[in-house]
Amino acid sequence: MFRNQYDTDVTTWSPAGRLFQVEYAMEAVKQGSAAIGLRSKTHVVLASVNKANSELSSHQKKIFKVDDHIGVAISGLTADGRVISRYLRSECINHSFTYESPLPVGRLVVQLADKAQFPLEILNVGHKSFGVGVFLIVEADGRFLLDQVCTQRSWKRPYGVGLLVAGLDESGAHLYYNCPSGNYFEYQAFAIGSRSQAAKTYLERKFETFMGSSREDLIRDALFAIKETLQGEKLTSSICTVAVVGVGEPFNIINQKTIQELIESFETKEEEVVEAADQGAAMQEDRSPEGAPMDI
Amino acid sequence: MSLIASTPANNSLLSSGMESERTLYPYVTGTSVIGIKYKDGILMAADMGGSYGSTLRYKSVERLKSIGKHSLLGASGEISDFQEILRYLDELILYDNMWDDGNSLGPKEVHNYLTRVMYNRRNKFNPLWNSLVLGGVKNGQKYLGMVSMIGVHFEDNHVATGFGNHLARPILRDEWHENMSFEDAVKLLEKCMRVLLYRDRSAINKLQIAKITEEEVTISQPYSLKTFWGYSAFQNPTKGAEGSW
Repeated sequence: MFRNQYDTDVTTWSPAGRLFQVEYAMEAVKQGSAAIGLRSKTHVVLASVNKANSELSSHQKKIFKVDDHIGVAISGLTADGRVISRYLRSECINHSFTYESPLPVGRLVVQLADKAQFPLEILNVGHKSFGVGVFLIVEADGRFLLDQVCTQRSWKRPYGVGLLVAGLDESGAHLYYNCPSGNYFEYQAFAIGSRSQAAKTYLERKFETFMGSSREDLIRDALFAIKETLQGEKLTSSICTVAVVGVGEPFNIINQKTIQELIESFETKEEEVVEAADQGAAMQEDRSPEGAPMDI
Repeated sequence: MSLIASTPANNSLLSSGMESERTLYPYVTGTSVIGIKYKDGILMAADMGGSYGSTLRYKSVERLKSIGKHSLLGASGEISDFQEILRYLDELILYDNMWDDGNSLGPKEVHNYLTRVMYNRRNKFNPLWNSLVLGGVKNGQKYLGMVSMIGVHFEDNHVATGFGNHLARPILRDEWHENMSFEDAVKLLEKCMRVLLYRDRSAINKLQIAKITEEEVTISQPYSLKTFWGYSAFQNPTKGAEGSW
């Protein structure tokens, strides 16, 4: 982007009132491969594009289950994403243990956003924390709290990953986006990562229908949105991952075979629609780009 | 109660504070608490006595308290430990309210939190000497549970602490049923409390009944139960044993 004298340190303001390091961290998110999320009243769907480095390697995991009722999709520095997922899982499981009840998504998201600002020790006041790993600290009143201190001190730089947090709680289905700046927003549908603008355009056209969508429709829209980010490349289940969480359905990543079948059934439908249009209007050149399965 | 000074006073300035200070025996205690589920929610009853050993020393101790919007807590055992628990719960509810996000801790969450507190204290050999009854309603779901001082916890349709377990629960097992009306449930509780009043030495005839429903919590004003002592066997108590008193 721009190199200037105010961007070396995350603790240095620029004269224009910007923290360049944070903005650069948000750039890292934009470079990552796409992830999208959308939600209805009862379900939330996350989908991501997985590009493997070579045909020989497996692709990176970008969707993580955090708890039965929460999952995240990441874009950016996936290594940071893994560490954060571990933190989120830890928070969820501590809450479940103490209260026998799932952590509300909104609260988890706020805790994560706060973590972007402060190291964890400051949040838990009156607390002894030690250097390594995860510790059980017993307070004088008998409660015990879990504190997590990462020895690599990676909190000295903003984390370079954007997270789409999908979850269900008492107040319904939620989709949040946490960015490295520490801000978080709730969304009906959102896309992050490279070429996410194409997906966002697609979602913007259709988001008003999402609240009432069925689970299948949501998944279909997710797949179409992913397709938009591929810019003409063929959509197959080997380059995308889809996960869903909903009322009565714990967070789970949908099986690759099922996804492939869904993709094929959508494409067949598209083809049928296109053929009918062809017969009706006889406009041969106006075939939609999705309707060319013969070109495999 | 115990005049034996077996533990040194803990307010010695010379003590580094590392001297283990722990509860060894309860001093001021409350007796049974009974809780039952009924049609609209939970009903709980407890008397207002605080015994100092065998002396019925305090007669206006409120042993039923509301916690947040959705729960009711009743405690028997050491009163000062109950007050400590109320402080913890106060803080818990405060932080919960501070989130201000439409989520709130329900009775199940409070019950489990208390279980963790009680169990952890027991593990450090410094128990909170109480048996707690936690009841509430949230989103139409009724919840009634108990936690003991060693962290034993469970849920049921009717629970009791202390003597209530022995005297009241048999009555409840026979006469409790689902969806009792408010009046029937109160009558049932009063029946149990009356038995406890007759038979439990630490019970006093001044009780409160607390009700929690989806909409509200109400704790009644203290009142007394009618008792009957005119049994013929009491007329001449030494009839069968001349010379006794």
